[in-house]
Amino acid sequence: MMAVRQTSERQAERRFARTVLLLVMLGFAAVMLAGMMATLAMLRGEDRAVSINHAHRVEREVDGIRLSLEQMRSARRGFLLELPVDPNASYDKASARLFGAIERVGRLTVDNPVQQDNIGRLSAMAGTLDQLFRRSMSPSSLRAAASEQERQRLASKVEALANRMLAEEQRLLAKRNAERARAVGSFYAVLAVTALLLALVGAGSIWVIRRYTGELLVSRDALQSLNENLEGAVAERTTDLQRANEEIQRFAYIVSHDLRAPLVNVMGFTAELEAAIEPLDALIARVDAEAPALVDDEARRTVRDDLPEAIGFIRASTEKMDRLINAILRLSRQGRRTIAPEPIDLDQLVTGVVDTLRHRIDELGVTVAIAGDMPQLVSDRLAVEQILSNMVENAVKYLKPGRPGDIAIAARAHHGRVLIAVSDNGRGIDRRDHERIFDLFRRSGAQDQPGEGIGLAHVRALAYRLGGTITVESELDAGATFTLNLPARFVDEKSGTT
Amino acid sequence: MNAPLAVNIVMIEDDEGHARLIEKNIRRAGISNPVHHFLDGTSALRFLYEDARGPVRNGPALILLDLNLPDMSGIDILARIKGEGSPLRRAPVVVLTTTDDKLEIQRCYDLGCNVYITKPVNYENFATAIRQLGLFLSVIQVPDVEES
Repeated sequence: MMAVRQTSERQAERRFARTVLLLVMLGFAAVMLAGMMATLAMLRGEDRAVSINHAHRVEREVDGIRLSLEQMRSARRGFLLELPVDPNASYDKASARLFGAIERVGRLTVDNPVQQDNIGRLSAMAGTLDQLFRRSMSPSSLRAAASEQERQRLASKVEALANRMLAEEQRLLAKRNAERARAVGSFYAVLAVTALLLALVGAGSIWVIRRYTGELLVSRDALQSLNENLEGAVAERTTDLQRANEEIQRFAYIVSHDLRAPLVNVMGFTAELEAAIEPLDALIARVDAEAPALVDDEARRTVRDDLPEAIGFIRASTEKMDRLINAILRLSRQGRRTIAPEPIDLDQLVTGVVDTLRHRIDELGVTVAIAGDMPQLVSDRLAVEQILSNMVENAVKYLKPGRPGDIAIAARAHHGRVLIAVSDNGRGIDRRDHERIFDLFRRSGAQDQPGEGIGLAHVRALAYRLGGTITVESELDAGATFTLNLPARFVDEKSGTT
Repeated sequence: MNAPLAVNIVMIEDDEGHARLIEKNIRRAGISNPVHHFLDGTSALRFLYEDARGPVRNGPALILLDLNLPDMSGIDILARIKGEGSPLRRAPVVVLTTTDDKLEIQRCYDLGCNVYITKPVNYENFATAIRQLGLFLSVIQVPDVEES
């Protein structure tokens, strides 16, 4: 239920995040589009400015046409009045200016068919007019009234046409000016929209960032408190475990003590019984001597055979039970013993262990190879010694009959651990028994060696106590390798110190 | 053998078998003082402090004490006997028990126990230990109970 709600919440959140991201992206895209549009509008405005300039120039040239016409007229008037200046020269200048202006206007308005049409007519008329002017100014003075009239009519027509062209250009100019104003207006509008969008996207982004930051802070706080709780929970569990462990050890201790009390009775009264056999035996011997008819074979057998046999079994069993109880007691004591870690010279320790078994090793003709240069180890000396002693003892004990014993002891460091291996070529351990041999009172293979099945259980308990493990690799008849894996530096879980 | 007959041996032991074996071996050592055996702490304390034949009313005593009792810990009895103002403060107490816990032994001596003996599980050792205790008891001088 909780999980389902969480999942749906998370899905909603993810949807929301996606939407927000999409919106932000859309916002930025819109801002970019607006920026592009503004640029476009500005470029278009520049185009307008260029064409307006163009229109102004055309206007100027058309004015130039009118001006030239006026100059032509005034040159002619000068000729007629016979002014001291050279009227022919000034007329030539004015007419050249007229044609130049016409030509320029024609070039400037190639894109305008109306003006082109006008300029074509203007050009034709100007040609005719020029001839008429020139004729009226000729020295032969072929002035005819008709031609004079014609000249004046044409001149006014040219002027009218020029005026029309000017009007046309002015119309164009007005149009272009309006367009430009519109373009500038739209540019400002686009700019305003862009600014608005930018502000909106910015505000939206800030809102989203603030929201996420707030959520992050909240979840960080939650995580932190969760972490603290976790530490507390772990500490609590550890305490529970330690308490349980202590309880088990205490239980083992009490049980083994309480088991001992009745055993004292069994052994004590067995001894009393044994002591009672003696007078009984003496009695039977005396009766045999004095009145043999009073005892039969059964009574004799009971006293001389059955009773000692029964007592022997009781004794053997109670002694074994005593050893087992002592083993449990020792294991429980091991758990209670405080571990005192110290730097251990492994080479020396291993040599010492082998030397204590030297007598048995020599007796059986076993060769023991100890690899030199063993790694550094900080652990409990007594415990490590007990473990190694047991491992080597087992290797010496469980030889393959008829095969000379060969034992190798080596140690190496590996990722903060020290691995000590004791290998032998003895009788080996069946794969099925690899776990079983570490159990209390369990043994493997032929039961031809003395022992209670305590050693390896003890070794494993010790290894665990030192924060290590012990494992076995073996095949039946092919020897065995026991590997003790210890932390290179012992750390006590209880205090967390080395 | 010639220990004053007035000295009573008070044995507080919940295991009848143990009690019997202890008594047998004490007798074998030649001790013939009367042995009063109690199976629990309550009746033992009543005898020690209130009974007409008990040590408070009737002469010196030596106490053999087991620590594992059904109704109370032998340590409590020891503390009561050796406690401040107890009339039995000077009576020798031999703690005879299976517990060989170091702390337990220290505690008993701290409380004023005179001898602490761990019962050996091996019977021969057990018998020897008790007989030696008997020899020890035969030479021990037991003070008279203080008049309260």
